[in-house]
Amino acid sequence: MTPGNAVCAYGVVAKRKLPSRLARRGIRLVGHGSVAALVARVSAEPQRATRRALLDHAEIVEDAYSWTTILPLRFGSVFPDEAAVRELLLEPNADLFEQLLERHAGVAELTLKASYDQEALLAELVASGPGLGRLRERYRSQPTLENGIALGEKTAALLEARRDRDADRILRTIEPLALDLRVGDVGLEGGVVNLAVLVERSRVGEVEDWLEALSRDLSPPIRFRLVGPLPPYSFIDVPVAVAA
Amino acid sequence: MAVMQRESSAGYITRAPRSSGLADVLEILLDRGLVIDAFVRVSLVGIELLTVDLRVVVASVDTYLRFAEAVNRLDLRAVDESRSVPELFEKGSEEVAQSESKGAIEGGMDAIKEKVGLGGGGERDKEEEDKEESGSRGGRGRSNQ
Repeated sequence: MTPGNAVCAYGVVAKRKLPSRLARRGIRLVGHGSVAALVARVSAEPQRATRRALLDHAEIVEDAYSWTTILPLRFGSVFPDEAAVRELLLEPNADLFEQLLERHAGVAELTLKASYDQEALLAELVASGPGLGRLRERYRSQPTLENGIALGEKTAALLEARRDRDADRILRTIEPLALDLRVGDVGLEGGVVNLAVLVERSRVGEVEDWLEALSRDLSPPIRFRLVGPLPPYSFIDVPVAVAA
Repeated sequence: MAVMQRESSAGYITRAPRSSGLADVLEILLDRGLVIDAFVRVSLVGIELLTVDLRVVVASVDTYLRFAEAVNRLDLRAVDESRSVPELFEKGSEEVAQSESKGAIEGGMDAIKEKVGLGGGGERDKEEEDKEESGSRGGRGRSNQ
């Protein structure tokens, strides 16, 4: 490794002239055949995985995406120098990248996270039938461990059933519009779905309209966070050979 | 960053044309995208550790926001009975998101930086060591060619 020449690679595009706004922020194109990688000199080495660095990466990739089709690289893809980007990344994978660039032209990734207003949901579950209300009254008048567990167990079961039902409704709304879907981990308490949706770029507005219609129909409130159009981060999960 | 908020009777949709915060980008940047073999990534310091901790920070922020919303709602309800719960909820979450989340994430990041030794100028010597160490590790792979 030649110290000081290390570069971070952000994504792969079809080779053409780099827009000046990207050039101005220190981005360079390293080309091979018809493909090229967007790179920038790494100022400090080892590079730090800071909040700023993560947001910068996203910003550069999304800026490039507003210019052309881009295959984003995972955060932190650092190469010893520009020659290594050509030799290790572009040369061995040029055909694969050409295919992927063709496949992803004109499409967009949307990330959709849905979560409950937990309190409103609990209130509705209590109101929706006599079962939970009775357990609640019993626990209120006799707050024993046994009554607490009975109330909690019933609540958890109702919550889970409700989440499965709502997740299914959201999926069925999105599926007809999606070219592809990735279902992610809901993780946090209160989460309903965590989706990456691949759609034609021209249909992004439709997804929003369908969700809008669905949310009017859902009770209790589900909060949707829809981010995009983004480059296809979640849909280029193909093995990339790297000569070592 | 332009964030358009749509509201409807039963829920609401927050729509961001681009990723606009750590919570939006963390998963796609760290888990998705074209993956390059580990040797190329060697010069990124502490990524594994940071990855784990970052997730914890983001998760905690989300939890804090919910607490904050709940508390905020209770206060407001006592002050002004006339406002509807959904209205309070939206207002609360927006205010909290704007005022609290940034600080919380940054505070969390500071703590992480401190933990992994990425803090201020006092860490220079250690950083220099790290740099040399990583340089020689990275160099091994290349010198074979």
